[in-house]
Amino acid sequence: MKSYLLASLAILFACCCVGTAFAADSGSGEKEMLVFPEAYKAMNVSNGGTISGVVKFEGDVPEKKALEITKDEKVCGADEKFDESLIVGEGNALKNTIVYLIDISAGKDFDKKAKIEIDQMGCKFTPHIQIVPVGARLTMLNSDKIMHNVHIFSKINKPVNKAQPKARRKMPLQAVKKAEGPVEVKCDVHGWMSAWISYVPHPYFAVTNEKGEFTLEDVPAGDYKLGYWHEACGTNSEAPVAVTVAAGGTVTQDFTLKLK
Amino acid sequence: MRIRTVALLLTLFGMLIVFNFAHAQNAPEASEKGKEVYENSCAHCHGTEGRGDGSAAENLLPKPRDFTRGLYKIRSTGTGELPTDQDLFDIITEGMPGSSMPPWDTALSANDRWEVVAYIKTFYDGFKEAETSPKQINLSGKVAYSEQSVETGKALYTELGCVECHGNIGRGDGTSAPDLTDEWGFQSWPANLTQGWNFRGGSDTEDIFKRFIGGLAGSAMPAFEGDSFPGFGLTAEESSRMIELDNKDEMTEAEEEESAQLYEKYDAAVDIALNLAEGTELSAEEQQIYDDAMRVVYEKSWHLANYVKSLMPEKRPEPAIGNNVLRSQYIQDELPPMDDAAWGTLEARYFPLVGQIVIEPRQFNPTIDAVNVKSFYNDTEVAFLFTWDDRTHTTDETDEETGKTLEDALAVQFPVKVPQGPTAPKPYFLWGGRLPVYLWHWKASAPEQVTELTAKGINNAEAQAAQGELHVQSTYTNGQYTLWVKRALKTEDKKDLQLEPGVFVPIAFSAWDGANGDVDTKRVMTSWYTFVLEPVPSSKRFIYPPLIALLSVGFLFGLRAFVQRRNSEEI
Repeated sequence: MKSYLLASLAILFACCCVGTAFAADSGSGEKEMLVFPEAYKAMNVSNGGTISGVVKFEGDVPEKKALEITKDEKVCGADEKFDESLIVGEGNALKNTIVYLIDISAGKDFDKKAKIEIDQMGCKFTPHIQIVPVGARLTMLNSDKIMHNVHIFSKINKPVNKAQPKARRKMPLQAVKKAEGPVEVKCDVHGWMSAWISYVPHPYFAVTNEKGEFTLEDVPAGDYKLGYWHEACGTNSEAPVAVTVAAGGTVTQDFTLKLK
Repeated sequence: MRIRTVALLLTLFGMLIVFNFAHAQNAPEASEKGKEVYENSCAHCHGTEGRGDGSAAENLLPKPRDFTRGLYKIRSTGTGELPTDQDLFDIITEGMPGSSMPPWDTALSANDRWEVVAYIKTFYDGFKEAETSPKQINLSGKVAYSEQSVETGKALYTELGCVECHGNIGRGDGTSAPDLTDEWGFQSWPANLTQGWNFRGGSDTEDIFKRFIGGLAGSAMPAFEGDSFPGFGLTAEESSRMIELDNKDEMTEAEEEESAQLYEKYDAAVDIALNLAEGTELSAEEQQIYDDAMRVVYEKSWHLANYVKSLMPEKRPEPAIGNNVLRSQYIQDELPPMDDAAWGTLEARYFPLVGQIVIEPRQFNPTIDAVNVKSFYNDTEVAFLFTWDDRTHTTDETDEETGKTLEDALAVQFPVKVPQGPTAPKPYFLWGGRLPVYLWHWKASAPEQVTELTAKGINNAEAQAAQGELHVQSTYTNGQYTLWVKRALKTEDKKDLQLEPGVFVPIAFSAWDGANGDVDTKRVMTSWYTFVLEPVPSSKRFIYPPLIALLSVGFLFGLRAFVQRRNSEEI
């Protein structure tokens, strides 16, 4: 046993000699995350206002990156798949941007009937960006009928890594207690699969569609900070936009984002 | 008398308390002592702040644990739970086989190890914030090892998708294997289940069971806690029926109804499991459903653990030295080709490989465990059968850093001249030096070919100008290479090794796993071993011993006659 240890120490010593200091990924850190209010109170909102707008992309649109399908060709390779971290549509519309209120402390409750699901279909997560209320269960669907595993890289909540074998068509996940996000979801079996989940404490979150549009409805009248998050373009957490919502009024706020 | 009994009882009671206290958890409060031990012994790899970023970390894979996330692979606790103090203590004590983490049982006192446990817990607040102690995996209800259990486990291995990463027969060669990363984005190879001695947390059936139920936190290995099981909440028969119905192309109306009912029962049980996990109190009826479901899950998991256990030998094979030295067996006939059943009659000899760390570039993180060798020879030729596990079949990858071509390969090394006698010098084990070595170099990109090399150093090898006649066959199946090489015992080439029965010949190996970045000096290897063409017990043994016996008897009779004659003459 002793020689084992000595050998290991020798290896370590050698490593130290060769190794340069290991540059830790100090993490692009918190500014990449959503910002949540310290507390939130659900209440009836009447005569609330609306915030809507369009998110556009500025700059040269990089070529779409085709994903390499390395296995389960029949199910996964039926159509060509592209990296979804940046989807720019007609007129530079930017899909999959989260637009949200940073500092709202009271407002409407979640729509309890809304289904919160991510499907694994053709070895792709749909939707790519999902908003999950704190305390609600996210249900993972497996339309592929092949083995997937749901690996959620949470840092504040417990990370999840659960197998979803082929016979498991519908797998609800335990609700989480703390707001956090976005956190990446991956499937280790099919390494190219990627999606993002945000566990949120209030319902004023929107994700832009193909046209880059978003709408936040039933916002109680008041002044707010409006934030965004985009996988490839980053956030404005450090300099959010101030908006004033009048009762029953509509505020338009557009954004133009560049690659971070 | 009575007083003495009471005193004895009190003492016993006291001991019991102390005993319990020592074992109930727990590391002491974090102290300066723990910090000191940590910084002296652990920080080089794990970093002074516990982020797994010590100065040695860059060259290691698996990477040293980052303690700041509270994610620990080897636990006796369920998925999402923190490890117990004892878990941490055990890892420090026993080390993690197959990684760079050594056992600290001799280098650190038990006290120091407990201090370190306390100290590393300070890197993650979750330990302090935890209100209850972590929930341990229930190991009661173990299913004894039996052929039938192994069979059931084998079916589950496929059904649950283990093959995707661990491969058809467990060599870690599943189709997802090359792409796996851990929580920090580093490459993470799935375990080769046939090599239990490399299991980080041990390879007892209980260990396997715990890894399966609890998952390996931070790695790609998911937890298969209760409701991950297809058919959670169903009996074994019901879940087989559910899967059977699922696999039908078309169902009758009655079958549709049956399937729907099974799914309903299944969903209801999952709902109960989630309620429990989220902290909802269960009714007695729900608790019963949950307990029944978990019993089925645990039983299945034991079957699976038994199956995994069946994939590995009882213990790591002994290296090919002493009694286990490689002895080529003589046969009179033609030497058997690669796929001949005759090879099955030989026991392979085991040559463990280690990373080459003498000459830059080095390999600190080997992925090939060993090469196994068998050999036959006849009057004119010798044949070797080499097998080694490699999770990936790499023939032509380009190294992103150096632009070099990466591929799997094996080299078998002999001296050009066999040293005369056991104390005579051998060539330097790293491909020779002043004394040259003779090599067979096989590459996965040319699977039917072996090149003869002469080398006078690891960076000083040349293909022989005159390539001899080597017969080569090879395959790659289920994560294992098999290479068969046949050569004449004697050749005309002075740069070749010449073989003779009964002579002990040094032999050594180098192997490259292209997918692990192995190329040139970056490789795994052995130092010198020996092999011998086992001399044929001579047929003369049937002639000389009886002859000598006869002669002796004749001599004795003669002597007796002589003595008798002399005696009679004297009288």
